[in-house]
Amino acid sequence: MAENQKQNYLTHPKGIMSWLLTLDHKRIGLMYLFGGIAFFFLGGVLALGMRLELAAPGNDFVSNDTYNNMYTLHGAIMIFLFIIPAIPGALGNILLPLMLGAKDVAFPRLNLASFYIYTVGALFVMYTIISGGVDTGWTFYTPYSTTSTSNVIPMTMGIFVIGFSSILTGLNFIATIHKMRIPGLTWYKLPLFVWALYGTSLVQITATPVIAITMVLLILERLLGIGIFDPALGGDPVLYQHFFWFYSHPAVYIMILPAFGIISEIIPVHSRKKVWGYKFIAFSTLSIAFIGFLVWGHHMFTSGQSVFSQIVFSFITYFVGIPTGVKIFSWMLTMYKGQVSFTPPMLYALSFLFLFTIGGLTGIFLGAVALDIHLHDTYFVVAHFHYVMQGGTIIAFLGGLHHWWPKSMGTMYNQTVANICCLGVFLGFNGTFFPQFLLGLRGMPRRYATYDQQYAELHNYSSFWSGILGLSIFISIMNLLWSLRKNNKLDPGTNPWGGMTLEWTHTTSPPHPHNFEEEPVLEHGPYDYDKVIVEPTFKK
Amino acid sequence: MSHDNSSPKFLQHHFHDVEQQYETAKLGMWAFILTEVLTFGGLFVAYVVYRSWYPEMFVGANLLLDVNKGLLNTIVLITSSLTMVLAVWAIQKKNQKLSLFMLIATFLFAFMFLGIKYLEYSHKFEVGQLPGEYYSYMGPEIAHLNNPHIFFSIYFIMTGLHGLHVAIGMGLIAWLIYATAKGNLNSEYYTPMEMIGIFWHLVDLIWIYLFPLFYLI
Amino acid sequence: MSEHHITPLKTYLAVAGTLFFLTVVTVWVSYFDFGSFNIVIAMGVATLKASIVALFFMHLLWDDKKNLTMFVMSLMFLGIFITVTLLDTGFRGGVNSEVESPINNRAAFYDSLPLTDTHGHPVDEHSADHHGEGEDHH
Repeated sequence: MAENQKQNYLTHPKGIMSWLLTLDHKRIGLMYLFGGIAFFFLGGVLALGMRLELAAPGNDFVSNDTYNNMYTLHGAIMIFLFIIPAIPGALGNILLPLMLGAKDVAFPRLNLASFYIYTVGALFVMYTIISGGVDTGWTFYTPYSTTSTSNVIPMTMGIFVIGFSSILTGLNFIATIHKMRIPGLTWYKLPLFVWALYGTSLVQITATPVIAITMVLLILERLLGIGIFDPALGGDPVLYQHFFWFYSHPAVYIMILPAFGIISEIIPVHSRKKVWGYKFIAFSTLSIAFIGFLVWGHHMFTSGQSVFSQIVFSFITYFVGIPTGVKIFSWMLTMYKGQVSFTPPMLYALSFLFLFTIGGLTGIFLGAVALDIHLHDTYFVVAHFHYVMQGGTIIAFLGGLHHWWPKSMGTMYNQTVANICCLGVFLGFNGTFFPQFLLGLRGMPRRYATYDQQYAELHNYSSFWSGILGLSIFISIMNLLWSLRKNNKLDPGTNPWGGMTLEWTHTTSPPHPHNFEEEPVLEHGPYDYDKVIVEPTFKK
Repeated sequence: MSHDNSSPKFLQHHFHDVEQQYETAKLGMWAFILTEVLTFGGLFVAYVVYRSWYPEMFVGANLLLDVNKGLLNTIVLITSSLTMVLAVWAIQKKNQKLSLFMLIATFLFAFMFLGIKYLEYSHKFEVGQLPGEYYSYMGPEIAHLNNPHIFFSIYFIMTGLHGLHVAIGMGLIAWLIYATAKGNLNSEYYTPMEMIGIFWHLVDLIWIYLFPLFYLI
Repeated sequence: MSEHHITPLKTYLAVAGTLFFLTVVTVWVSYFDFGSFNIVIAMGVATLKASIVALFFMHLLWDDKKNLTMFVMSLMFLGIFITVTLLDTGFRGGVNSEVESPINNRAAFYDSLPLTDTHGHPVDEHSADHHGEGEDHH
């Protein structure tokens, strides 16, 4: 076994084919990770391009049509190719079986298939970009999307295909969590990240089929004029919005729930304290997943839906605040009187708490019908969902990446650089998006390449800080990649943060190709810092 | 690390035992059924909404469908469901020959279903009862109704998606026939047959709703 | 896998018999007019049939209850989708009755369609004397 110990999944087996045809969940996770990061950069470049255009009033760099393509592609790429697949696909894939003590996910071949389906979907999106883009906005609202001359069909085909990848990942994770746990690992002993992935997967399999059928109907509407969404043919464009948001509102929780899970892991480990309110956090995950299905109409307050449903949707929307608040308070109470260490993952987690709280609270403003009618389609909405999606999900993703990087890669990045980058991300983010709240309140509508002189100062400010934000994220990723250079390997027994979940205590860094030398035996709960002492170990 | 030599060859390395592998496959299959129900669910929503907006048109347009063909197809599909469970039953009872026979029968019934569907579709194409802008049928019984093309859009999309599932099911059953004939599936290991069976019953189950929605009411 | 539940042949045949019977019943009932109860009866019979298929043919009756939960969950979410969408589409006329249903009750292309007989062949307007004018002056 001694030689066996030196093997890890990164180096064994060797060869390009062993990666392309791998059934190992950790390798598939890494492929998702690098695919996702590539699209993150592409989407980021588009965002910076837009901010450049918006730095001053007037069409300075791009035409209105190009700008329309840019925001559509930015939204679609970030959501469908990065955020939705990235956390479950990358971190979820790498960590889920490790946290359960399993050798692999339930259906390894399906797992590889869903990665390739994702790749095919990505090719459709690439084709859309090369052949001239699409200008409908990432929501593809009818009737514009049925009449636009841009490449709506390849783009919606891409989303249709990526949907299958998402469904198969969710299905796989559900079966894995139910059936692949080691004996003794009961539901209440699961790490909270697993609960989060479970909630995410449930939403993935219930909501994603509806976007698939919606995209099919949209394509058929363009090809055959079926008349279901086209008002000229006796159809109803608002029905399209119902179909779209029945998926896309729960999809918001597909994006944010895994982020909650990451934060629930980082905070107890880096505070060296048992998580406060384990069951509260676990069940708030499931209740968010459920309530998320009842509130989609709050995206449609100005669309012409009935007043009755506006009231119902607005009312139910407030309930989302309850489980979310439960989580935020549980995390804060976990840190209370803990030994908080300001490592890069913890800094990201703290940023998350701050930014997500702003994002969540402004969401409550927007849930009120009267206020939303005023703020709908303004920069207030843009700022709100960037505070949730970037300030929440992407910050948590970066935090998780820094937290589990030594585990999955067996190397340690430069922590000082990482801390500085985290600060840069935090400042850059607030500098970019906080002014957008003010712009929105003053009436600046979203999706315009030009604007009135009165908005110039805030736009200029926002554009400046977006550069800092982009640069900080770029350097932090480069910092991670730089750690992969030669002769930078950590000792396989390293547990740099003193984590207590199975992936830290029972396997090497990077893990063995079959995850564990032998099946782990559960000795303590995931956050038993009050009972057991696990010292952080860190040596090269 | 790797399982010992006594474990059967169909047991994959990451499972403890056959039971765990079987239960996992089944749970995964039911999760998949859930996604299928919601895929068709979107279309059911479209049906319900448009029926509530165009009640007379829906009642008028469904008279244009051939109840006898629909009834025949219902019976064909229920029979195929029966032969499918009997195929699983036979292989549980170690009767591979009977199982093979039942699978072939299921395949033929599925083919018959698509054949009848083809006759229905070709008649619709002939008279111009087509989805969306291709609609051109203005017969006396329907000329006064509002937007009948929407009924036919929903009809063609729902039965078309269902027909696609029948076709996919036929492909899967063909593979089962091959695997059973070769002896890869036997009374020890028949999980794929049971899973594809569940899929096939779902196809039947959806048709149970489509039939009254389009042909009867 | 010999310990799995094996359903007796008789049960399967009885189930199939019930399904055929209910199919005939639902067709037979459809020839009578019960007004708005037509839909209720047809859907009730369909749901009965679907439950029988799910419980017996799909083995949910004997299976791990997780699978049944999964199936019931799919129906619950479908129910949410239908009900909540109807909260909008069924109540639009509340403030402004013009938007109660889709505004374009007759798509423009119908104006250029000639009347046809039951075989889809255009009928010329002289023989179709039971119809008013102004439909097909193209």
